[in-house]
Amino acid sequence: MYATIMTEAKSTTGAMPERAEPAELIRRVAERRDKAALSALFVQFAPRIKSMMLRLGVDAAHAEDLAQEAMLSVWRKAHFYSPDKGAASTWIFTIARNLRIDAARRQSNRPYVDLEGIEVESEAPHGHALLEQSQIVARVSKALEVLPEEQREVVRLSFIKEMSQSEIAQRVGIPLGTVKSRLRLAYDRLRPLLEDLH
Amino acid sequence: MTIAFHPDIATLMAFSAGTLEEPYTVVVATHLAMCEACREQVKRTDLIGGALLASEPEAEMVPGALDRLLAAADSDDVAQPIIVPDTGVPAPIAHYLPRGLDGVRWRWSGPGVAVADLPSSSAAKGRLMLLRVEAGRKVPEHGHGGQELTLILQGAYRDRFGRFGAGDIADHDEDVEHQPIAEPGEDCICLVAVDAKLSFRSRLVRTLQPLFGL
Repeated sequence: MYATIMTEAKSTTGAMPERAEPAELIRRVAERRDKAALSALFVQFAPRIKSMMLRLGVDAAHAEDLAQEAMLSVWRKAHFYSPDKGAASTWIFTIARNLRIDAARRQSNRPYVDLEGIEVESEAPHGHALLEQSQIVARVSKALEVLPEEQREVVRLSFIKEMSQSEIAQRVGIPLGTVKSRLRLAYDRLRPLLEDLH
Repeated sequence: MTIAFHPDIATLMAFSAGTLEEPYTVVVATHLAMCEACREQVKRTDLIGGALLASEPEAEMVPGALDRLLAAADSDDVAQPIIVPDTGVPAPIAHYLPRGLDGVRWRWSGPGVAVADLPSSSAAKGRLMLLRVEAGRKVPEHGHGGQELTLILQGAYRDRFGRFGAGDIADHDEDVEHQPIAEPGEDCICLVAVDAKLSFRSRLVRTLQPLFGL
């Protein structure tokens, strides 16, 4: 069973070069300032962050910088991460996302207190058994794949193209209300899985 | 705190994706600070982003990129938690309000209604403001030009959707019309994000209203 899922993870996400789970690597960074672990995280995530940024129309140099900054944030903030807050890839995604938003705002030369730093503590119960990261990723990716095309499209445009809902409406040529209802339908389909995962 | 009204799931997905405009992002973040259920919800919508990141193809990093990171890691300190001073308002808006809601400089905006703009970066699309409605006062019936997000910070109001108290959020589309009435007792103070251009239009409409006897 486990082996099957691992195979699926590889086929849908590309082989991860490092065997250690990202959550474990982050823990090693937090506890031991372990640079080998940081390097392994870099190999797993920096090229993917850069790719995601390039998709957003960020130029290559800036995409490279954002990937660097995100990995440096992982180094500096590793002790804020705990596996019961969610998958490591999710945490790193939110770091990269917030850096991109901050960078866009900094271009305006106004001081800005980032929202990420003032995240509130969750009262969610601690310590329940978490799935292996690769399984989480594989399952969410698979769930996204089986969404009806029109729902998958609005999710991808939101998360990967980072288009606002009104931009999606324009691009796809549907009313704003339809964008929202497709997102709601997509979420309804994903929800049982997502609830299962955290 | 019992919260009855939450953001639309499409709004929370946009928050996770990072595609909400800045004023709306601040309103959602402030609601999250007050609402455990939505914090859990956002964990789920963030998972979508994490899964998509993990399944991204790998772009080629420039040569020496890892060395550059390791060198930066040498000189870099561990991040400290940000201490937000407690001024009685939720953390995401604390830096706008160093003296809390008592220190707000209100601007008259109609009988019993006052507003105070909160600064956004110049790149921001839309407008972030505080709105204060006197206890017992009726807000003139209005529609919304674009998306309007209203988070109640203090007091409460009622409209055809129900009673909105502290922590509740009204996530209204453009085609919604309503006439909120502040409950007696305490002034109702809300954090509001609106589309800048459209709020300008509605201000124009407000100016013209007396002329046309509307």
